[in-house]
Amino acid sequence: MLKLAVYGKGGIGKSTVTSNLAAAFARLGKNVIQIGCDPKADSTINLLGGDPVIPVMNYLREHDREPDDVAEISKTGFGGVLCIETGGPTPGLGCAGRGIITTFGLLEELRLFERRRPDVVLYDVLGDVVCGGFAAPIREGYASQVLIVTSGEKMALYAANNIYTAVQNFRDRGYATVRGIVMNRRNVPGEEEKVRAFADANGLPIVADIPRSDDINRFEDAGKTVVEGDPELDVSKRFLALAELLLNEESERNP
Amino acid sequence: MKQTARIISIHAADTSGVCSMLYELGGMVVVHDASGCNSTYSTHDEPRWYRRDSMIYISALTEADAILGNDEKLISDIVSAANDLAPRFIAVCGAPVPLLAGTDFDAIATEIEARSGIPTFGLHTSGMNSYLVGASEALEAVVGRFCANPVPRTAEPSANILGATPLDFSILGAVDSIREWLEAAGFRVVSCMAMDSTLDDIGRAGSAHVNLVVSSCGLATAELLRARFGTPWVAGVPVGEKFPAVLAESLREAAKTGERALPCADRAFSGSDTVPAIAGEAIFSGSLAKAVELDAGRPCRVLCPLEADDRLLAPCDLRIADEDAAAYAFARAACVIADPMYAPVCPADTPFLRLPHEAFSGRCYRKETPNLINRPLPWRL
Repeated sequence: MLKLAVYGKGGIGKSTVTSNLAAAFARLGKNVIQIGCDPKADSTINLLGGDPVIPVMNYLREHDREPDDVAEISKTGFGGVLCIETGGPTPGLGCAGRGIITTFGLLEELRLFERRRPDVVLYDVLGDVVCGGFAAPIREGYASQVLIVTSGEKMALYAANNIYTAVQNFRDRGYATVRGIVMNRRNVPGEEEKVRAFADANGLPIVADIPRSDDINRFEDAGKTVVEGDPELDVSKRFLALAELLLNEESERNP
Repeated sequence: MKQTARIISIHAADTSGVCSMLYELGGMVVVHDASGCNSTYSTHDEPRWYRRDSMIYISALTEADAILGNDEKLISDIVSAANDLAPRFIAVCGAPVPLLAGTDFDAIATEIEARSGIPTFGLHTSGMNSYLVGASEALEAVVGRFCANPVPRTAEPSANILGATPLDFSILGAVDSIREWLEAAGFRVVSCMAMDSTLDDIGRAGSAHVNLVVSSCGLATAELLRARFGTPWVAGVPVGEKFPAVLAESLREAAKTGERALPCADRAFSGSDTVPAIAGEAIFSGSLAKAVELDAGRPCRVLCPLEADDRLLAPCDLRIADEDAAAYAFARAACVIADPMYAPVCPADTPFLRLPHEAFSGRCYRKETPNLINRPLPWRL
């Protein structure tokens, strides 16, 4: 099972990258689960035609009980991708990090992975690892690899460095390791050089170079990923290539 | 009122189960919680506290440590203490505050083991479950770690006792009586998990022909030993006059066939509410119900307030999730056998027979706890 966590600065395009990757894995015939771990709960909306799934925290708030079945807190989107959102507490109250851990515990109780037997699990995580809850997706048993999404913008690279440092700090704990950088271009001056400098300084490969594309926005307006909307576009092929790369590596590790 | 104990007591929590199960095994148990909580975990729930030493510690978690995620302090304190005390293993477990802070005990254990070289495991207690859950996880972790190697079966018939702690059996001789009964039934006792056996005894558990599960907290380990060594298990406690012979036969049969058996749940079905009701841990109460059925000729129902695998309950048994459910079931029973702290929710016209359970009332009624092992029951039913 390929288990990936996608991190990056807020607004950098994590959900776009994650859901396009999910769609790409699905187009390659894989059984995929995407779990959005952001209180905004908008990670999977473009896999669902713009019709969102009820986040787990909302379910708990509205029903005052745990769900009996994964079906109550999930929806099946493009290519059969099972979409789940942790959601978050009432804004300004509660604890969003604890919400992620509670959701993961609940999914374990519901035996999600044993029953669904996915080939790929994607965790789309809030921009910064601000507390234990936001590191939960990279704990042992969850994601084994991290993709960091960044552009060449200064603050995006700053956040990427923070995420990389946080993951490195956990290396004695058996947590996930950083697989590489997804360069999500914003077309800032010297973008590739800046991202490459960061990647080289930390010994990380750039595993995908996603061009700035109006096609992404066009399809998102229709509630779709670009991989769903038109897999023949160059930008779609970049996501498909990344999915193939990661799957090939996984099959080499676990033939 | 749902999910509350307004009048009666509550059962000891999972952290107490961990401490109780690991008390005698030479390991170091660290409960990650605020200072002062040692009494809760050990003194009130641990009758051995005054008689024998054990390395049970509380981390003295502070508000700042919890907020700041200061795991390093916990890890370095444990490694330092372990270097001084040289425990056979280290178990780190949680309480409500680490639960809310999302502390990752598996990761902490990994770091401690890497630095100390001592086998370490994280246990996922939270104070939100009963002692059975903590005791079960603790025993499974120890057995998983220290019973790893294949061992030949003993030449003579032999058995392990799984799930024995003072929380279910106190320290008044019941576990000794189970040992004596097993020996008399022709089974040498390889280990008793976890009273009056060493970690080395437990390390030889794979050599036994059969496992006797005396409490729900031994069931997961029984399944682990079955998966690892093919050892069958039998669930039951040899209480009363006639049930011990039934249980002994089940053990012999299981040792011969390799099949599991649950004589504690193999009871006459009664569709009626108006039968004697026994409230308590599933295996002990089921065994007692079977003993009453055999010795007094009266079918009984178990009212189970604790976590229990469905297999351990007979079709006529009921789960009582809270005080209201207990009171409702007591009101319909012919009589009730339960810990004295249940008495206030038992109607005055329902006969109430006192059977203290250390995990429910602590040391309050210890002196009146009867030893029911392999002898006539003390009540006329």
